[in-house]
Amino acid sequence: MSDAKDPRKTFGEALVEAGEKNPDIIAISADSSSGSGLTPFKNRFPSRHLEFGIMEQGIIGYASGLATTGKIPFVVAIAPFVTARPFEMFRNDLGYMRQNVKVVGRCAGLTYSTLGATHQSLEDIAIIRTIPGVVVVNPGDPVEIKKVTHALAAHRGPAYMKIGSPKMPVLNREDYGFELGKGVVMQEGTDVTLIGTGTVLSKAFFASELLEKDGISVRLINIHTLKPLDRDLLVKAAKETGRIVTVEEHYLIGGLGGAVAELLAREHPCPMRMIGVDDQYASNGPYEELLGLYGLQPEQIAGTVKKFLG
Amino acid sequence: MHSLSEHEELELKRIAFKIRKNVVRMIRAGESGHVGGALSIAEILSALYFKIMRVDPRNPSWRERDRFVLSAGHKCLALYAVLAEKGFFDEKLLDTYGALGSKLPGHPDMYKLPGIETNTGALGHGLSISGGMALGLKLDGLDAKVYVVMGDGELAEGSNWEAAAAASHHKLDNLLVFVDRNTLQISGRTVEVMSYEPLLKRWESFGWSAREINGHDLKQIVEGASGIPFEKDKPSVIIANTVKSKGLSFAEDRVDYHYWKATTEELQIAEKDLAEIERGLKQ
Repeated sequence: MSDAKDPRKTFGEALVEAGEKNPDIIAISADSSSGSGLTPFKNRFPSRHLEFGIMEQGIIGYASGLATTGKIPFVVAIAPFVTARPFEMFRNDLGYMRQNVKVVGRCAGLTYSTLGATHQSLEDIAIIRTIPGVVVVNPGDPVEIKKVTHALAAHRGPAYMKIGSPKMPVLNREDYGFELGKGVVMQEGTDVTLIGTGTVLSKAFFASELLEKDGISVRLINIHTLKPLDRDLLVKAAKETGRIVTVEEHYLIGGLGGAVAELLAREHPCPMRMIGVDDQYASNGPYEELLGLYGLQPEQIAGTVKKFLG
Repeated sequence: MHSLSEHEELELKRIAFKIRKNVVRMIRAGESGHVGGALSIAEILSALYFKIMRVDPRNPSWRERDRFVLSAGHKCLALYAVLAEKGFFDEKLLDTYGALGSKLPGHPDMYKLPGIETNTGALGHGLSISGGMALGLKLDGLDAKVYVVMGDGELAEGSNWEAAAAASHHKLDNLLVFVDRNTLQISGRTVEVMSYEPLLKRWESFGWSAREINGHDLKQIVEGASGIPFEKDKPSVIIANTVKSKGLSFAEDRVDYHYWKATTEELQIAEKDLAEIERGLKQ
């Protein structure tokens, strides 16, 4: 594992690479270009960087219209402002119209830990994954952010990518197998399956190391794509390990845990535990402490797993 | 700028009549529908599709085509009628309105019929999408234009004003909006439900070039729509004063006919009204 990297900077660099390959890619800013990692793109392709100011409802419609002319807009802004706020625009103008637009919600989850609940985004996955045909991705490390950016540039159709802002540890090798819609088994195991996603994949990763030290065989899975969900991998894990624990920086309602439970309830019911934020507006304070408040630190995750296994 | 000959004007009147006739036909088939706004834009659609816009029914996705966006998607019966008249699809499809899985939903679906550019219905979406189209066309160096019909009640949606500001900021002078000012919405007179006057000044203050016309006068519509941009680098808007449910004697300018659940008796009156319009056109 190497040094941690800034997710927004990583995304911005990947978007420039994607933009070099495909001249149809454009970046759309809502008065947050630099904070969204778009400065390198703006410098490299000034005419393909479009500023709209603080109008996140209108921006989604503009992106939809631009896509009808063959452009591939990447709309990047603070997560709740491009998901919860313009939800109907996302649903109708992107989803229903099947437009080739990529929305990137940055500083998602509890990232804006001190700024409070207006700026935190704990429901974005829940609401966006209700929209038919939208790919929902939550990359788990900087390597994955790059892979997802390129994959979304190549994928034809609407998509949502969620990224945080605190530096993320590198968990994946550059050559690991990435495919949209396919989970990644990071470690084989038989006692329990621990599933992580996005910013707290690393917490699940470190928790699995702690559990292994205690002699518990953990299957660690990275579900980077929340929609479409990797059915086969999850059903196999339920069948082979019999117990599943999900870890996410998101509400328990409708997120990774909810999506996995919806699937397994139909396909192969098994006991589950879900770690995330329960039905409340999250508190404010230092980011790592806030994660601790909701049981998302590795020792806490390991504790929840042990208690679950009895 | 185009001006209409007498012959051309009569032809466009005939098409507007055909739109009205087919709107009533669909409502008869489906037993109900948004009639008022569909009838108030019949002349605007007649002029756009048969005099102003460059579209090709045999090649609906032609890259250089002009675009039409019906932001007030509930007026779609008029759009279905004009697209059928233009040859985008067989007129017989109109009789499926209201049937299970019909290609003619109560708000338009671009994947169900050729010639539909957007899925609209929720109000306050169309102008942003149209702005994106206009911007994309400009980025590609195409001189195609984007024509939009909005309702006046729809203007209360705040998202429109985000879209309007961005259109002037990005100098989208290839964009023309018709506001169908039929002055009625579900709850009553639009300015009483939520006032929007002074409407021209409101648009102008957002950086648009605005004009006002009689939205049933084909000469005025064609002169306005063919003269864009009204000012260089500015998007254009035409406030079209219209009569809701225009052409149906029992429904004209009446709030009750925003959505019409047609009775047999009303349909009979509608037939008489349409016959009278047709007689007028033949004289």
